[in-house]
Amino acid sequence: MEQAWIIPVFGFGAFAFLALFRRFLPGQGKHLSVLAIIAAFAAVWPVLLDMLDRGVGEYHFPRAWFSAGPLEAGWGIIVDPLTIVMLALVTFVSVVVQVYSLGYMRHGGKDDPRIGWYFAAHSLFSASMLMLVLADNLLLLYVAWELVGLCSYLLIGFWFERRSAAEAAKKAFVTTRIGDVGLLIGIVLLVVEFGTFDITTIMGALDGSGVNQAVVTASAFLIFFGAMGKSAQFPLHVWLPDAMEGPTPVSALIHAATMVTAGVFLVARLFPLYDAVGSAQLAVASVGVATALMGAAMALVSTDLKRILAYSTMSHLGFMMLALGAGGYTAAIFHLLMHGVAKAMLFLAAGSVMHAAHDETDIRKMGGLRKRMPVTATAFIVGALALAGLPPLNAFWSKDEILLAVADGLNPVFLVLFLAAIVLSALYMGRAVLVVFFGRLKPENAGVRESPAVMALPLGLLAALALTTGFIALPIGYDGIGTFLYDAAHGPHGFEINPLWFAVSVALALGGLALAYALYGRGDSSRTDAIRERYARAHRIVAERFYIDHAYQWAIDHVVLGAGRAVAWFDRRIVNDEGVNRPGILTAATGRRLRAHVTGLFADYGIAIAAGVAALALLLWLRA
Amino acid sequence: MTLQLLHFQLLSAALFCIGLYGVLARRSAVLVLMSIELMLNAVNVYVVAVAAFRGFESSTGQVIAVFVITIAAAEVGLALAIVMRLFRSRGTVNMDEIDVMRG
Amino acid sequence: MLLFFAAAAVTLFAAFGVVTSRNIVHAALFLLAAMGAVAGVFVLLYAEFLALVQLLIYGGAVIIVILFALMLTRASEHLGESDTRRRPFAALAAAALFGVMAAAFVADSAWFNSTTRVSVPFRTLAEDLFVVWAVPFEIASLVLLVALVGAVVIGRAGREEDETFPETGEPDGDEPARTPRSRRGERRRRGA
Repeated sequence: MEQAWIIPVFGFGAFAFLALFRRFLPGQGKHLSVLAIIAAFAAVWPVLLDMLDRGVGEYHFPRAWFSAGPLEAGWGIIVDPLTIVMLALVTFVSVVVQVYSLGYMRHGGKDDPRIGWYFAAHSLFSASMLMLVLADNLLLLYVAWELVGLCSYLLIGFWFERRSAAEAAKKAFVTTRIGDVGLLIGIVLLVVEFGTFDITTIMGALDGSGVNQAVVTASAFLIFFGAMGKSAQFPLHVWLPDAMEGPTPVSALIHAATMVTAGVFLVARLFPLYDAVGSAQLAVASVGVATALMGAAMALVSTDLKRILAYSTMSHLGFMMLALGAGGYTAAIFHLLMHGVAKAMLFLAAGSVMHAAHDETDIRKMGGLRKRMPVTATAFIVGALALAGLPPLNAFWSKDEILLAVADGLNPVFLVLFLAAIVLSALYMGRAVLVVFFGRLKPENAGVRESPAVMALPLGLLAALALTTGFIALPIGYDGIGTFLYDAAHGPHGFEINPLWFAVSVALALGGLALAYALYGRGDSSRTDAIRERYARAHRIVAERFYIDHAYQWAIDHVVLGAGRAVAWFDRRIVNDEGVNRPGILTAATGRRLRAHVTGLFADYGIAIAAGVAALALLLWLRA
Repeated sequence: MTLQLLHFQLLSAALFCIGLYGVLARRSAVLVLMSIELMLNAVNVYVVAVAAFRGFESSTGQVIAVFVITIAAAEVGLALAIVMRLFRSRGTVNMDEIDVMRG
Repeated sequence: MLLFFAAAAVTLFAAFGVVTSRNIVHAALFLLAAMGAVAGVFVLLYAEFLALVQLLIYGGAVIIVILFALMLTRASEHLGESDTRRRPFAALAAAALFGVMAAAFVADSAWFNSTTRVSVPFRTLAEDLFVVWAVPFEIASLVLLVALVGAVVIGRAGREEDETFPETGEPDGDEPARTPRSRRGERRRRGA
């Protein structure tokens, strides 16, 4: 376990190699990148086994890096169940996605011209994410956090020749940056208050005497603000739908399973902080449930396949935050894992569809595709049903856990909203499945064929996993997931199935699916058109993403640029014209005026002398 | 009222300042010289007056005055020679046009 | 007292005339009057010898020289006051100086208010002049000699036809020891 730090090193090494030498490598080094991530994945299992051997718990291996006065920064790592779960998820999905990319990034038999850089960025991303989950101190964590954001920018904007892609990458980076400011300030507050970067130390000292609780509270909120940015919570969610401009494997990796979960991970890693600051925890839950509902609503009206999935991700991240806000540490991380697997697969399936249909993403142009792409369709259906919450698929179990946590830990309002979101998620998932894969096959899609093995295999693998991984939760062979994944406050807890909630969630999921079938099952949009017209205004609001993007743009145009214009005016007119030019002008003018006195005429000088003598005489007389 | 040193002092000062005005304000070089003479005369008046009212060593004042007159005469001669040279080369004795000191 | 005021009035009036008269010859005559009045003031101060000297030298020699200069520089053709721009400032400066001096004198008159004028016996004056002040006397005669020679030199050297004033304003006559030929050559070089 002590050597777990090597796991990110594979990725960093691959990145360095590809970045520098990809021109000289066969295939621009893509195979090297894949090998590196496979190695990283392989390295996770000894760590897990070692932990099971030594006993489940938190293991801290600090290593010193540098110190600035009393402040120490280190390279150390923490290995605890949370870390291992994240390591496994990140490496696994990364392997799957990179293998998938080998096929996806080829068009007409040839690789994308910059494929080396693509894989380099992928390697860097995986390495950074792994470093993030292993980091034992806030400084290292922040560095990894920023690196992850950078890679997101690079990968979203990979096809930067497309204006929309470049804009989307910029939007993602800037929006998460806004959150990052909060994160940084929060970190600084904590460091100043506790005098160390070390996470374990800080989490242990939170309720000590002499600790300024106001600082702790403030930093809890601020750090959550950073998490909001990365995890696309309202109102910093605006970048996620646009991020779909990137290649689909990127969406699968970064915006389904890994980067967006960094925010959830952060809150989980600092869970004692949120346990201590109740108001912050409540804020987490509120933001989570709001995001969940908003995401679900927007997914329902979206016509772009990838964007549906993006909004769905947003919604599920909301679920995770809600769980954390309810104190359900286990539930949240569990759902993170399950959702990651399922959503990654959904994105890869969507990519398969797009690749076959020549990059078409509008679902209105699809239909009946299951006849042509059976593997893809099956995988997609499995993923959709899982996320809708159907047992025994994996996400059902995690959603159930969340339900329990919310029911126990929060105000009933949250519960009601959560249940509504569950219905909606079933609804939009059903819609996606029905519209894309069922119904009539359109003539222009007649040439659609199943994807090559390199793409189909990962899909199949993930589907199988989606079916089975849910059972990890059950107390088979051990006491259930609650004994592996738990937070300090609640301690390990056994697995419980509450028959009431079991029934409720299944009923809601089925209800939602049935509604979807009723609305979309006919293969035409007759029913939905009518509904859309009835609620045209509401539809419009949701379709326009609740006008939040418009609000941001307005703010940028008027506030930011306005301030910029004001400052520019100040700089130009006052600093430059007055401050810089005026002394010069003044000097020149004074010089000109003074020059007039240098006439060379004796009489003029004589007057000056006479006046001077008079003045001196006066002075001397007065002093004497 | 009886004459005091003050009266002579004031006379001297007034004469001096009138001469000063002439030096500064007149255009012709010769007039400037004449004004200088006035100033010198003022000085003489002052010196002699002080000597007279002082009561002892009064000869000093008059001796000084004699010397001043002597030097003044010498200076006038020399100065006028220069003025005539100036006139010959420039054709004018207008002080306003002699700005050789300019710059 | 009356005499003093009369003499003073004449002096000042004449001085005023010197500095303000438009006709330059009138100014010279005003100067003459002023000199005479000053001589009168000397008399009031019991300095008769000095009064005589004043009249002789100033009124006799200096004024004549000045009149000659006026004639030779065609002063009658150049009349008029200085620029109006400067007049006020000059007046202001002179007035300021007068103000300061007058104030100082008046303030001092509080403690120096003697009213007796001492007369110097002629014999004492002569003794002091030739005995006590013998060295300055000799030097004064030397100055007169130099002035005399100098005036002649300066006045004479400028008679050459191709003479031009160099821009630096140095009169060529400052080097009387040079031979005429070398001077001419140097002038040519400098004038080029």
